[in-house]
Amino acid sequence: MTDQWPRYEVFKQDRPDGPFRNVGSVHAPDAELALMNARDVFARRPSCVALWVVPDAVIVRRTAEEFAREKGGRDERETEDIIQYAVFSKQSQRQAMTYVDYVGELAARSPVEALHRATETFRESPGIVWWVCPASAIVPSDPDDLPGFAAATGKMFRMPNQYHTIFTMQKIRRGEEGDD
Amino acid sequence: MDNPTYDPQLTEFEARIARGEKIEPGDWMPDAYRKQLTRIISQHAHSEIVGMLPEGAWITRAPNLRRKMVLLAKVQDEAGHGQYLYHAAETLGVSRDEMIDALHEGRAKYASVFNYPALGWADMGAIGWLVDGAAIMNQTMLAHCSYGPYSRAMVRICAEEGFHKKQGQEMIIRYAQGTPAQKQMAQEAIDRWWWPALMMFGPHDSESSNTPQLVRWGIKTKTNDQLRQEFIDEMVPALQALGLNVPDPEMRYDKASGHWAGREIDWDEFWRVIKGDGPMNAARLAARRKAHEDGRWVREAAEAYAGRTTAVGN
Repeated sequence: MTDQWPRYEVFKQDRPDGPFRNVGSVHAPDAELALMNARDVFARRPSCVALWVVPDAVIVRRTAEEFAREKGGRDERETEDIIQYAVFSKQSQRQAMTYVDYVGELAARSPVEALHRATETFRESPGIVWWVCPASAIVPSDPDDLPGFAAATGKMFRMPNQYHTIFTMQKIRRGEEGDD
Repeated sequence: MDNPTYDPQLTEFEARIARGEKIEPGDWMPDAYRKQLTRIISQHAHSEIVGMLPEGAWITRAPNLRRKMVLLAKVQDEAGHGQYLYHAAETLGVSRDEMIDALHEGRAKYASVFNYPALGWADMGAIGWLVDGAAIMNQTMLAHCSYGPYSRAMVRICAEEGFHKKQGQEMIIRYAQGTPAQKQMAQEAIDRWWWPALMMFGPHDSESSNTPQLVRWGIKTKTNDQLRQEFIDEMVPALQALGLNVPDPEMRYDKASGHWAGREIDWDEFWRVIKGDGPMNAARLAARRKAHEDGRWVREAAEAYAGRTTAVGN
């Protein structure tokens, strides 16, 4: 009895010149609602200037381990037309709240070719995990939606630094009235 | 199961965890690792979703606009946190539908603490400070988890939950310093939530059969009892500084160990609530099912709209 909608991967940009970074996914019946769900789920706080959503089904992924496993048996169907692929990669093993970053585009005949070319083209990336998708599959948020993101900027009560509980507790422990 | 000692894949997997690498979707992992994580992450997701209910009921009764906006924002965050976690669980191969069905049909577990009722406004403060405070201790540990998607969800959740804990603590501080009636309200709320908060850390280590494997595979880095002790050591002195008491006459500071210790948790109650017989288990599930059914027409309308625009676009 599945009425589950397709999954869209969500990429968030924190500042105008910053990278688009994968933050997770949402389910939605279409890209327009995926963007709205993504805003509600991932942009409740100030640091968001733009979002991308990409249908999960068009993304092809490889971890470094998977690349090593398929070494030699490179299964490529170079039968498709040359198109532009967007390339994403995981940049670090450090603890983080985002996964793969957008690193650029390249032309290829198939997603698998794009993946292999990505590791050569974006050599400077540590490339712990690679994702590619047709560049045309990215659906960006409309710049006119900026007020939607700006709505979060006024809600400073969501930020822990707006609460002076540590300072107040210190004062109380010294025997002063806490007034936060 | 084959003797795991000579399994080269398992050896490499454990070596990766020992090196501090994250295991990512697509990487090889033992079936038991996938199974344990699916169980833990989906339970965690359900806890966020059911966790909206005790507080959600108080939104319309907030005493002023600021408190109302804060509570709304907090409950909205819990919904978002549930979404982050369902996403993380999906990367292990379970579908969102399966998980939600399991919750609605009473087959899935979620944090027992939400099977207790929130009976007064000051409970919003006690839940934020004690329940979210306990959750943050667990989640700060899980942010170091070896599975990438779960770790990332935890890092994001911890960053957001600092607000949840602090708004609750701020409320309790204020009431503790307020009128005698306000102080009593705060004390009663602490009395209600203290034991359920301690139970959140789960059974004793000696009863927790999963823990050794979870520690070995970098899913947990501390045991239930370790985390519970950290929580007690932080909370008891803070509450006492405010002139509030924990509802445990045996709570004492033990100089030799440097820890606070009180009486045993009522484990009969603990297991009873987990098995579905808590004060609010039936009401919580009924509320979730109703919300799901009441939202059906919205899902159908959205789908019909998507179908029409796609058809026009073609």
